[in-house]
Amino acid sequence: MEIVSQGLQSIIDGLLTGGVYAMIGVGLSLIFGVMKVINFGHGEFVILGMYSAFFAFSALGIDPFVSILFIAPLAYGLGFLIHRLVLSKLLGANQQSTQLATLGTGLIISNLLLLKFGAQPQSFYNESSSNTWSVHLGTLELRITIIRFVAVLLTAVLIFALNYVLYRTELGRAIRATAQNRLGAELQGVDTRKIYAVVFGTGVTLAVAAGVLLLPILSTATLTMNTTFTNKAFIVTVLGGLGSIPGAILGGLILGVVESLGSSILPLIPALGNHFGSNYRDAYGLLIFLLVLLFKPEGLFGRTVKRV
Amino acid sequence: MTSPVPTTKITSRVHPLMVFALVIGLLALYPIVFGSFMNFGISTLLLGGLALSWDIVGGWTGQNSLGHAALVGIGAYTMTLLAEALHLSPFFGTIAGMMLAALVAWGWGSLTFRLRGSYFTLSSIAVAEIIRLIVLNESWLTNGAEGKSLSTFDLPDFLYERKPEYYLVLGFVALVLLFGHYLKFSKLGFYLKAVREDEESAMALGVNPAKAKLIAFAISAAFTALGGSLYAIYLQAFEPDTFLLTATSIQIALLAIIGGRGTIYGPLVGSFVLAIPSEFFRSQLQEANLLVYGILIVVVILYLPKGVMGTLEHWFYKKNHLLDKGNL
Repeated sequence: MEIVSQGLQSIIDGLLTGGVYAMIGVGLSLIFGVMKVINFGHGEFVILGMYSAFFAFSALGIDPFVSILFIAPLAYGLGFLIHRLVLSKLLGANQQSTQLATLGTGLIISNLLLLKFGAQPQSFYNESSSNTWSVHLGTLELRITIIRFVAVLLTAVLIFALNYVLYRTELGRAIRATAQNRLGAELQGVDTRKIYAVVFGTGVTLAVAAGVLLLPILSTATLTMNTTFTNKAFIVTVLGGLGSIPGAILGGLILGVVESLGSSILPLIPALGNHFGSNYRDAYGLLIFLLVLLFKPEGLFGRTVKRV
Repeated sequence: MTSPVPTTKITSRVHPLMVFALVIGLLALYPIVFGSFMNFGISTLLLGGLALSWDIVGGWTGQNSLGHAALVGIGAYTMTLLAEALHLSPFFGTIAGMMLAALVAWGWGSLTFRLRGSYFTLSSIAVAEIIRLIVLNESWLTNGAEGKSLSTFDLPDFLYERKPEYYLVLGFVALVLLFGHYLKFSKLGFYLKAVREDEESAMALGVNPAKAKLIAFAISAAFTALGGSLYAIYLQAFEPDTFLLTATSIQIALLAIIGGRGTIYGPLVGSFVLAIPSEFFRSQLQEANLLVYGILIVVVILYLPKGVMGTLEHWFYKKNHLLDKGNL
């Protein structure tokens, strides 16, 4: 019985965290889908979001759910600028060079943050952070953390907005055309350089926004988490198939549930002793990531899902 | 990636091993001239040696691994744990570490080399991260996050002194450089370059790309583990995060890329190119020392896509070529 209630609780927690992971993954997938480039600095943008939200809260007293309103446009500007100054110069070069450039810009961002804030973790505390709703299911009582729920709701709003732009606007049509065939789009009069900059800006915005939302959830920000988040972004996107947005959403939810189940259910299985648990939290996702890469590199839902 | 420019014009006048002797000879003078900057010398050479080892699989074979930190860690931990548990001398412990690293790389490569390009890079990050989590959590073996200290057991006395350590590291660098010279003119080297340029064409010419990549990865891993155990000896005490973070993998790869991939000396040059500004701004940057790496890799990608050494070689070649034709 304990396993069942614990399991259900873990699935709910996992889905709620996974929603935010999905947003990180959607950004990476969008950039890959259109530019055919993996953003190796994606995790750094998540960290940038966390620290911007932390700064807004500690210096100006603005709650992350409010500060996201002005952090997101700034993030878009930053992404647009990085594309204009660095990545657009590499359009003729191979994919690898562009990826190294994203790795470099990521390093610059994380190390500038390190200079400003230092390596010690920054803890964030807000009274509302620990508020929960209780849901009764027969004899089971399940808890839903409110801020996680709100974060997932905001994620859903952002992803719907993105979907609207992609499928209902002229800009979205141009983006999809560029993703399908850059030359073809160019011949139809699409300014693909601008489209790339817009897409990179949007991807960065999603990563930064995810970071802002993760701050109250994790209640602490550390700079060494950048690789963790870059890895999570890779996992999420590869699970659902690189370049696929619905895939990234599902990938995010799966990763959240796997991590949460792995850390709460494995310790309850007597045969494993106390060996596996939350200490290996990050490994469960990586393991699934490797398995998917090896046996189904087009992603769990490859082919059946629509590409951007 | 573009192929390095053939340098036969230069090499026909100067025997390549003379360049090698000159470089090693000059580096051997370092402790005499800069005796008070031994730490700078050792760490720069050590990173250079690791970047040279990375280059065997990253530069010559074109498989951009971002997981070499795990192999550094395997070298360091194997040597230390064997010395502690079995009182094995560091010499044999290092050889055991190299063999283990080669073995791990063989298994790792057989699983992931079917992935091409960026997918291989992603998988290398994941494998290395899993190895890091294992080292961090299996405390019964590795002492977990507290790490290991070499002071709990007796090492030969000279391993505690900076000068012998410097020459050991120089020996390591010389060994990998010699292997680079071997690659430049050997069949294996041509196989690796063929795989890097185009796997399908290489296969059509009778090269087995899977095997070539595995051999390169295993050799690269063994050298990296050798560097790892020298690193452990130099530091005397280390934690999992000293070696195993993805940041270390990135650092090693960037040194080689900035210096120039597949150019024999490039990664070593890269190590010095990065070490000097890092050292210069040390007090301002403190822990943020990778800022220099970030800025330089962006600059190199934008303006010197072949890396420092690759660009120099290109420039030399062009100059010589023009002279031969009487154009200058």
